[in-house]
Amino acid sequence: MQVDQGNRQLTFEARLSRNSETIDSVLGSSVDVQKREFMLCGKPDHKGICYFLDGMVDSQAIDGILRALVVLGNELNLDPASLRSADAIRTRLMYSASAKLCGDASDGVQGIVSGDTLVLVDGLEEGILVSTRGWKDRGIEEPSSENNVRGPRDGFTESIRSNTAHIRRRIKDPKLRFDSMIVGTRTKTDINIAYIEDLVKEGLVDEVTRRLGDIKIDAILESGYIEELIEDAPLSPFNTVQSTERPDKVAAALLEGRVAIFVDNTPVVLIVPTYFWQFIQAPDDYYDRYWVGSFFRIIRYVAFFISLLLPSVYVMLVSFHHEMIPTSLALTIASGREVVPFPVLLEALLMELAFELMREAGLRMPKPIGQAVSIVGSLIIGQAAVQAGLVSPFMVIVVAITGISSFAIPSYTSSLAIRLFRFPILIASGLFGLLGFATMFFALLLHALSIRSFGEPYLAPASPYRHSEQRDMVFRLPIWMMDKRPQFAQDTQREGDRQMPRPGKGKS
Amino acid sequence: MTKLRISNGMFISMIVNMIFVKSIGVTQGTLARIAGQDMWLATLLGTLQGMLFMYVAYLVMKRAPGMNFLAIGEALLGNWLGKIVALVVLTFFIASSGPIMITFVYHLQDYFLPEAPLSLFLVSSLLVGALGCFYGLEVVARLALLGMLFIFLLNVLIIIGSTQEFDIRNLLPVLEQGFPSAAEASLHYDADCAMAIMMAAIVMPFVNNADKHGGKVGMTGLAATGMVTLIWALLEGAVLSAEVTSRYTVSCMKLARNAHIGDFMQRYEMIMIALYSIPVLFEIMICIYGTSVSMSKLFGMRSNRWMIVPACLLIGGFSYRIVGDHFRAMQYLEKVWPYIAVPIAFGLPVVMLGLAVILRGRLRQAG
Repeated sequence: MQVDQGNRQLTFEARLSRNSETIDSVLGSSVDVQKREFMLCGKPDHKGICYFLDGMVDSQAIDGILRALVVLGNELNLDPASLRSADAIRTRLMYSASAKLCGDASDGVQGIVSGDTLVLVDGLEEGILVSTRGWKDRGIEEPSSENNVRGPRDGFTESIRSNTAHIRRRIKDPKLRFDSMIVGTRTKTDINIAYIEDLVKEGLVDEVTRRLGDIKIDAILESGYIEELIEDAPLSPFNTVQSTERPDKVAAALLEGRVAIFVDNTPVVLIVPTYFWQFIQAPDDYYDRYWVGSFFRIIRYVAFFISLLLPSVYVMLVSFHHEMIPTSLALTIASGREVVPFPVLLEALLMELAFELMREAGLRMPKPIGQAVSIVGSLIIGQAAVQAGLVSPFMVIVVAITGISSFAIPSYTSSLAIRLFRFPILIASGLFGLLGFATMFFALLLHALSIRSFGEPYLAPASPYRHSEQRDMVFRLPIWMMDKRPQFAQDTQREGDRQMPRPGKGKS
Repeated sequence: MTKLRISNGMFISMIVNMIFVKSIGVTQGTLARIAGQDMWLATLLGTLQGMLFMYVAYLVMKRAPGMNFLAIGEALLGNWLGKIVALVVLTFFIASSGPIMITFVYHLQDYFLPEAPLSLFLVSSLLVGALGCFYGLEVVARLALLGMLFIFLLNVLIIIGSTQEFDIRNLLPVLEQGFPSAAEASLHYDADCAMAIMMAAIVMPFVNNADKHGGKVGMTGLAATGMVTLIWALLEGAVLSAEVTSRYTVSCMKLARNAHIGDFMQRYEMIMIALYSIPVLFEIMICIYGTSVSMSKLFGMRSNRWMIVPACLLIGGFSYRIVGDHFRAMQYLEKVWPYIAVPIAFGLPVVMLGLAVILRGRLRQAG
């Protein structure tokens, strides 16, 4: 399926000069537009032109086209007059794997700017669009933001076709589908919607297609654009669309009946629908043994709560409810805070902001300098601030643990959302103690409960509670127990009965 | 738009959340004042009575699936009865805001934030309640499901922290003050059950297969509440003794303060109060929801959303008046509230059932 936005309809004529003018008028005198004239079968009275963009094409493919058009016809002693249609040229002369007829100049131009080569021959009212895309790609690397210890190391790249091939390699199911769309009136960005036809949630593909089709925008430069334009809760800091650079994650999502959205020129693929808890799950959970997977998943849940709540709880206890702190601990905290001139809320805010500043600076700077900034910031400034009496040692520990915990959340984008939520809870706790903490926390909880991701409640399967999906929620149960897909999938049975290994007694 | 549906599990959770906080927070103290160490028996009796009237409420709604009490009233005798029922429901929910706010405010203000003004507690709780109502009943129901988890954790914590001081002799002899005294005390637990029954009167039509399983689910909810509350009744009686329990407005806090795990965790009542917050805020949400639904019926509006703010103002004003004075609050809690709650929540379903039986033709026509 092709959705074309905003192109004028320009048809080819039988005169090459007119067609060439038409293409020139649209593409202009851009330096990378290449026009290569040729003579069909080497005959001077049958002229033709190849249009392509330098840098976007595989030059060997162009050579092959020209060889076919000029040399091959000559060697075969073909009379150009016998090749009366573009289709005859395509079928009798050309040996490119992908070549199609093109009667519309706007389609031809679209092909050229996408890296294809448009072949025009005098006297023919159609052109031939040959796939010659071949630019320099980044090689396949391990995704830097989604590391794992055990499991595949390959990650998506900026080439949409390489990315879809990653999935094909993993799911050799003929029911795997990739629907194509073009979004962006100027960038004409290729979008692929991937799903498994007999598993995908009913109506989901139509809904995704509708939302993508509704996008009216000039440019899509990254999948983040798409994410913001199709998400269910556009005003919410929660991300209701999962993004990943890992092909194994996308394959697993497709096998659960979800839809993946591939966007050209970005390694980040979107997955819908998404539950909040997915952001706390990591691929290693499934590749390591289930005991280990469950243990580290629980650690991540703890990290999530620490990341969200620890500074708020500390501020609330120290500011309002110190009687709740065990006496020996309270004395230690008090001795550390004795010389600190700031109220604990201000101290926490300053430290949190300083931490975010260091994180941001470390991220933006060149890698070697970034590491230096992190070390200088965390060790030297932290130590100096404590010695100067600006912050208490306990606060440094709290902020450091909070920061480390936020990095333990596998989804970087989600950990950013949690960082944002930390501040309103912190401020409310610092101003109103337990009342502020409870009020703000439950307001956020209500908000999370209210949102959906493509029809699925965001906090499912916790609330609404779905019994069968608990096997992959807090704990990661053994693979042989996870026999069901999420209940929105068309076919929920994923395993045969009695998959638990039972070695026969007395047999080798 | 997704059609509003509440699962049976959610409905059970809603019932538990609706009753639990007040019944362990302030009702146990009242029961101890009347029935002494038989407060657990009064809780049990109240549970059974509540289950009976929940079933009566179900019998009414079974005759008109998809309709709440307000709509059934209108279907039976026209618009005027619908409005009278709405007025009764409105009165109930505004009146119920008193004990709910007493529970919420006294737990937090008396034990954690004594210098904070009353208005702060009322405004913050009503804001969260209004937000929940704005998001809709399904979101509130999902919150109740999480609230159930919190209640479970709260009970685990109190059991861990209190069992070492559990003394069964404090609960003996049984029926020392006689059965009539326990039965009289159960009226106060009935008032707690009344809130769940009236919630069911407006919420049950949205429950999955309510016409088939509504009664069973409703009674299961009340039985579950009875069980989780009974833990507190037994612990308060056995650990604190009935005499000590009877001296406190918020007796559960005395028990919570008493609880400790080893020498290091001498006090952890704040964790328990944090866990307690979801159910209490849920109660406030349902109170606002019930008030706004009945107000929208009274004013002939299709959606209750426009009535959320006026409902909050009414509830806020009434609660401010009741909660502001401890003596007035206790008078209202023990002398007024049960006599509003029980007649309405037990009487209205009976009256509606009678009318539904007599005028079943009209109900069938409306259905």
